[in-house]
Amino acid sequence: MELFRKTLDPVIALSAIAVLDIFLFLIVGAWTVGGGETMMTGLIAQFILGDTIDRIPFWHEVFKPDAGYWKIYISLGMLFGAIVGAVASKEFFWRFPKRLSEWVMITVGGLLMGIGIRLAFVCNVSTFFGLTPELNLGGYLAISGILAGAWFGSLIYKRVLEGG
Amino acid sequence: MSALAECLVAFVFGSVVGLLVQRSRFCNTAALRDAMLFKTFRNTKALLVAMMILTIGFTAFISIGAGNPMRFDVGVNQILGLFLFGTGMVLAGACTVSTWVKAGEGNFGAIWALIFTFVGMFLFSLIWSYIYWPPAPSAMTGELSVERLQFGFSNAETLQEKTGIPAIFFGIIQAAVLYGLYRAIKRREAASAATS
Repeated sequence: MELFRKTLDPVIALSAIAVLDIFLFLIVGAWTVGGGETMMTGLIAQFILGDTIDRIPFWHEVFKPDAGYWKIYISLGMLFGAIVGAVASKEFFWRFPKRLSEWVMITVGGLLMGIGIRLAFVCNVSTFFGLTPELNLGGYLAISGILAGAWFGSLIYKRVLEGG
Repeated sequence: MSALAECLVAFVFGSVVGLLVQRSRFCNTAALRDAMLFKTFRNTKALLVAMMILTIGFTAFISIGAGNPMRFDVGVNQILGLFLFGTGMVLAGACTVSTWVKAGEGNFGAIWALIFTFVGMFLFSLIWSYIYWPPAPSAMTGELSVERLQFGFSNAETLQEKTGIPAIFFGIIQAAVLYGLYRAIKRREAASAATS
């Protein structure tokens, strides 16, 4: 199948995703990832901590762990779709970061993404594919933050690249 | 719609997105990082085209009272939070979408980033439980609150209500601005192709 032999033009891929996102917006709400990830965090924390999680106000005032939260399944779907695509195109293979600096950057980067999503109540997906197209003020605030952050991160990234 | 049906719709949508992103190698991090660092715009153009389609689509449906726009108060926390997020995604080399997609390709670095995104979220839940900021959805008022650093709530729906002008009008203006950016990138690429 052609789709699994050649790389798809991202403009075509993103245009198709945008059309589907409009349907999703009509049915349940626009595409988002951060909310589902937060709910997964709550469910994992509940599994590990048990009833102790009830003593953390965030998990009953902001996000009450609920496995029936639809946003979780967008992320699980993306994982499933990516596995299908990678296996069908023979692009699935285990890869590991090689240098210590990569492990450190990924660890710090992951932590900052998690803290940032929860502080903002939004992620990059809801910023670009939800809030801003809905002309939500939060989208413009988030874009200004993510552009400044990406610029700052690029400075660090460049320095590490040059150093390595 | 039942919760089960919502989850099924979300899973089908996510599966198609995962497949298309995997096959196109689209990455939101690269859309911003590569434009800033390497002056290459492969992913940036795709992001702009998607935003144009979505702006027209969302505002058209909002104009006739359809759709499910996000409703919550916004404030300084969006700027600070996405600043941290933007820095983090460049360092991790992946955003929320590409961590899942790269994880599906067997990239352990992406799985590691995902694990620490969850850890970061849990750490923030502990911090929030002391500072109670930004306000929980139940404490949101929709109004400006200087002491809480919140600007309230506004989107295409509220613009339409306040001005009496259909939301699509504002959507067309935003799409035109996005198209202007897209054209500027295309012109820049054409100019650099002509000189090389």
